[in-house]
Amino acid sequence: MAKLKSKKKISRRKFLQGTGAALAVATAAPGVGAQNTATDAIPRTAIRVTVNGTQRRIEVEDRWTLVELLRDHFGLTGTKIGCDRGECGACTVLLDGKPIYSCSNLAVWADGRSVQTVEGLTQNGRLDALQQSFIEHDGPQCGFCTSGQLMSAKGLLIRNPRPTADEIRAGMTGNLCRCSNYNHYVEAVLAAAKGGSR
Amino acid sequence: MRQQQNTSIAPLKTVGHATPRIDAIERVTGKATYTNDIRLPGMLYARILRSPHPHARIRRIDVSKALALPGVKTILTHENCQVVWGAGGISGGLQYNDDIKKITKHRRYVFNNPVRFVGDPVAAVAAVNRHVADEALGLIQVDYEVLSFILEPEEALKPDAVKIWPEGNLSLNAQNQAQPMSTRRGNIEEGFRTSDLVFEDRYTTAFVHNAQMEPRSCVANWDGDKLTLYTPTQGISNCRSDTARDLGIPPEKVQIICQYMGGGFGNKNQNQDADLITAMLAKEAGAPVKLEFTRKDDFIGVHGRWPTVQYYKVGVSRDGVLKGIQLRGYSGMGGYRKNTGTIGGIDIYQCPHIDSVVYPVYTNKTVSGNFRGPEYPQGFYGIESMMDDVAYKLKMDPVEFILKNMTRKSRDEVPYTNYSLEECIRRGAETFEWKKRWRPQPGSDPGPVKRGAGVAFMAFRSALGRSNAVIRLDAKGHYTVFVGVTDVGAGAKTTMAMIAAEALGVPVSKIEVVWGDTDRCPYSVGESGSRTTIQTGYAVVQAAEALKRQIAEKGLPTGDNVLIGSASPNPTLEGKVRAAFGAHFVEVQVDTELGHVRVLKYLAVHDSGRIMNPLTARSQIKGGATMGIGMALHENLLYDRRNGQPLTAGFYGARLMTHRDAPEIEVIFIESDDGYGPYGAKSIGESSKVPAVAAVANAVFNAIGRRMKDLPITRDKILGALA
Amino acid sequence: MKPFANSNARDLQNAVQLAQNARQDGRTASFVGGGSDLLALVKERIAAPDVLVNLKTIKGLDQVKPANEGVSIGGLITLDILSRHDLIRRQYTVLAEAAETVATPQIRNVGTLAGNVCQRPWCWYFRNGFPCYKNGGNTCFSFGGENQFHAIFGGGPSYIVHPSDTAVALVALDAKFRIVGPSGERVIPAADFFALPQQNPARENVLAADEALAEVQVPAPRAGTRSTYHKIMDREAWTHAVVSAAMMLEMDKQVCRSARVVLGGVAPIPWRLPQVEQMLAGQRITDTLAAKAAEAALEGAKPLAKNAYKVPLTKGVVRRTLLELAARG
Ligand SMILES: Cc1cc2nc3c(=O)[nH]c(=O)nc-3n(C[C@H](O)[C@H](O)[C@H](O)COP(=O)(O)OP(=O)(O)OC[C@H]3O[C@@H](n4cnc5c(N)ncnc54)[C@H](O)[C@@H]3O)c2cc1C
Ligand code: FES
Ligand code: FES
Repeated sequence: MAKLKSKKKISRRKFLQGTGAALAVATAAPGVGAQNTATDAIPRTAIRVTVNGTQRRIEVEDRWTLVELLRDHFGLTGTKIGCDRGECGACTVLLDGKPIYSCSNLAVWADGRSVQTVEGLTQNGRLDALQQSFIEHDGPQCGFCTSGQLMSAKGLLIRNPRPTADEIRAGMTGNLCRCSNYNHYVEAVLAAAKGGSR
Repeated sequence: MRQQQNTSIAPLKTVGHATPRIDAIERVTGKATYTNDIRLPGMLYARILRSPHPHARIRRIDVSKALALPGVKTILTHENCQVVWGAGGISGGLQYNDDIKKITKHRRYVFNNPVRFVGDPVAAVAAVNRHVADEALGLIQVDYEVLSFILEPEEALKPDAVKIWPEGNLSLNAQNQAQPMSTRRGNIEEGFRTSDLVFEDRYTTAFVHNAQMEPRSCVANWDGDKLTLYTPTQGISNCRSDTARDLGIPPEKVQIICQYMGGGFGNKNQNQDADLITAMLAKEAGAPVKLEFTRKDDFIGVHGRWPTVQYYKVGVSRDGVLKGIQLRGYSGMGGYRKNTGTIGGIDIYQCPHIDSVVYPVYTNKTVSGNFRGPEYPQGFYGIESMMDDVAYKLKMDPVEFILKNMTRKSRDEVPYTNYSLEECIRRGAETFEWKKRWRPQPGSDPGPVKRGAGVAFMAFRSALGRSNAVIRLDAKGHYTVFVGVTDVGAGAKTTMAMIAAEALGVPVSKIEVVWGDTDRCPYSVGESGSRTTIQTGYAVVQAAEALKRQIAEKGLPTGDNVLIGSASPNPTLEGKVRAAFGAHFVEVQVDTELGHVRVLKYLAVHDSGRIMNPLTARSQIKGGATMGIGMALHENLLYDRRNGQPLTAGFYGARLMTHRDAPEIEVIFIESDDGYGPYGAKSIGESSKVPAVAAVANAVFNAIGRRMKDLPITRDKILGALA
Repeated sequence: MKPFANSNARDLQNAVQLAQNARQDGRTASFVGGGSDLLALVKERIAAPDVLVNLKTIKGLDQVKPANEGVSIGGLITLDILSRHDLIRRQYTVLAEAAETVATPQIRNVGTLAGNVCQRPWCWYFRNGFPCYKNGGNTCFSFGGENQFHAIFGGGPSYIVHPSDTAVALVALDAKFRIVGPSGERVIPAADFFALPQQNPARENVLAADEALAEVQVPAPRAGTRSTYHKIMDREAWTHAVVSAAMMLEMDKQVCRSARVVLGGVAPIPWRLPQVEQMLAGQRITDTLAAKAAEAALEGAKPLAKNAYKVPLTKGVVRRTLLELAARG
């Protein structure tokens, strides 16, 4: 393979200036430059967080999102990242019992709080009624949105144990399913609620 | 829930019974391992820098600052990495063909210069963590010579249009010739001459992205000269051979692993540039590498459905019999051609004179390729809107018009293996109460909130083909099925287990399936073209037969012994065509004051042969129909014409259907067994999206009396049409 | 994301101090509530704070408290709690309804009232990092570009629409905003909080550096008042308003004594319609009056090339919302 030759430097700002007007009208290359170097000391904070019932202490980088902490540092990869922007719901977990997007919250903000992930739904090896119902109604197709759907449903049932189909749709709006198995997810939650939470 | 099942075919013991997925527990407990869940010791993280320009030549790339950033290990650009991805820009469907790869004039490298769309990869960085990799992207300095660009296929064919490739913007075919794709039957002039009435119209469809929930990621690891790639692919076997070919290493030195994958709908076929880039980064860095796409990377860097412009001319007799159909179509392929760009649909009509010419054209948009029924949802929207319109102009009920003109027991004199289209339509119309919901006078409801009904039908290929399966039986009575499938979400693994259980006469619980790993599984077709059940499922039946013969010969295995049955069938249709059939019926409510469309009722009737697993089959139909509604009403990767920038790349921008948008989809299966495939199974997965878009559009017309000729049918267009 | 430090604020003064300290060290600071907007901007490199001053750790700033002739609502209350709050639902319905239409349960569970009001625009040029006014540039790409969702009132030189649903409701409720900053406190009417691009094309409000929105004071609506929020979205949920209307009608039997009508999704600020309010005062709300009000509402609208549909749409929204609200018991 060819070796990288060192090239003359062109500063980004100079480049942007150089193309000036053309950039604004004809090309408008987006890319608002906010640059930093990794040599800056990266702020870190020690936190204490309860995850699926177990209290854990860890030093986190302040910039870590909660989902990063869960997946990369606690190995809880059941929580997925679909967009990292609060636009899909794949990363939904419960924070103090309420569904939130773990991609749009910082890990430091979970200090002193309690997080439940899909891994925490199963109690003593027994599936949660929702999990059982998701299986029976074929909720997951590709399954990538499923953990998020489960956690949203869980949060909904905590607040409203007997929701109507419309209440389920409203409560789970924040969870996209591109396989579009919405009908089955709603049926599954209805059935789980009827059966009562175990 | 009203779900109906037709039981006119002989029932079986396992196949045909609703069966939860064999891996359902993994899916609901978070234990299922998707690519991004893989973590290897010493693994680096990678990110891609993409072109911010729709068309530009790279004068210089300076990576020195980025390389100097502590934690950055390797950077690849077009200067130090010249891997050619697939066969480059010609003859889409055949792009992984060796011969074409050798001759093509339009090579697509993993890093190209010039760059041809916003999102074309420019560099890739591997670093100790994703934050450093991300920061390094901002330190790579690229000096671009910005070139003029073009977004629309019709404009791209004008003589003065900027040339995206030196040979021009009409994409080359497998012989390096710039030729449109054409299909002819009879003599179109004759067709129009014998018509009483001739209608012409223009329809357009937008670029829509597959937008599967799992963003692309890849993990590469080299052990000496052996490469292991964990990657979300719809076809591990093809991914292996393509990757080996592109990297110039023997296929047996490549292992592809895909245990679970979060959807693809066609954009995770074969191998992807991400696989090659990750492999090269890992090689250079001497460490395992995980490449992660952001959602925006995925939207602009991975292909979606090709946008089209469709000009139709249709001739009919006064009593509504089709005499001639002419199509001149343009498909926007993006900067490289990754699929054919055809516009499908005309051949579902019985018509003596057909003339279709479609131009696959390069543009400076994100590349187009496979997306659920690649050429059909957009093609069917065009042709079935056109035909719907013709029916109204003839004062005919669209259902009557369809029954009069749809494809018959033979397609072009070649007989279908079975034919149920008429039954799909009649059953559907009756169950849906078409006569009650359809307005003979479109837009005639009083008041601003109007209802209307629409119908569309389809026939979708269900071809047979080559695949393999191996089944092992041990002394404990456990059967292990080895199949080279992945599971994109359709439930292939479960289907294979059910087919094996049926063929072997044992319960599903006795069957274990080994899948998703090229080192352990034999070749299988990829999960594309809705072929897995038909082709690999048939191989499973054959392998079970082989195993049963062995058992008959040698008796059941004892001790440490095992028996193995295998099969590599390549069945053919013996001069017939095989298709799945279906018809969709939709009722919408349009608030004409607010320009708002709501689907009130949706019925999908399908003949997909024998239904292997009604539970998962229903999911497939509902999913495809719901996606179709989204394509009809919302989705569009919108570009700014002045600067070629995509504006709606992402889930929010694409306005994907949410829980609240998705209506109840009613499903009826009309089952059949034509004697082909495993127990008569035909295709399902893609076919459910094919007529959905047209059905919704036709319903909107029936409600408001205005034909919506450009997708998506958004509020601004509805209010504009009614203004 | 770029590195930054999270600083938990003890109280408002401390929050302001933390921001100022950062600035004195040559670093940039941003206040953060739920972070649901800010983190996305940091990920896209549109915002680049070195310090996030976390307001959620301030105690007591998430409450609804009765105050002289009305309520005071802490800026850190989540949209979820706000939308379910009994008193708010009953007496300040328009605010509860507006909060309820925001995004999704997950966002409402963390998103704060102040954060919602102060969120940056959702114009696709801004969010895609174009060098527009909002990104420190000197052009608005929507003008002459893709402006389907842009302003038909009050535009120029930037044509964004204000993204916040609660802001529209708060202007309708004639709320006052308590702002805390380096030079102390000030209380200003909601309507004066939002700023047109003519005033400052880079910002959407009058907050100065290191000023925080602390609290919202809402006067109690007069007896007989009913209110509602009607939001038009591009799909059934999870998108900003294409157009919205916040309406309050003070009714005396069939007669409307006074009205407040504010539109969202049409202008760079919540767009109040005084001419419509005057037209309604002292009148019975009939079909004819509603239609006239709808016409009057759109007087002076200046649609761009691709958003003319907002004119009939907004008329429809005004007309219907008015009739529905008047008919409510
Ligand atoms: C997909 C999606 C859809 C959305 N749809 C809608 C919608 O339909 N309607 C709607 O209204 N919103 C919508 N939003 C925006 C969402 O509601 C906001 O993200 C949220 O309300 C902001 O609240 P927050 O507390 O999380 O804000 P933050 O992210 O914490 O802050 C937002 C901004 O306000 C500043 N800020 C925060 N608190 C203060 C304060 N006290 N004083 C001064 N400045 C402050 C921050 O510096 C930042 O610039 C949507 C967001 C997403 C991601
Ligand atoms: S990953 Fe968090 S919302 Fe999509
Ligand atoms: S199951 Fe695939 S995205 Fe929901």
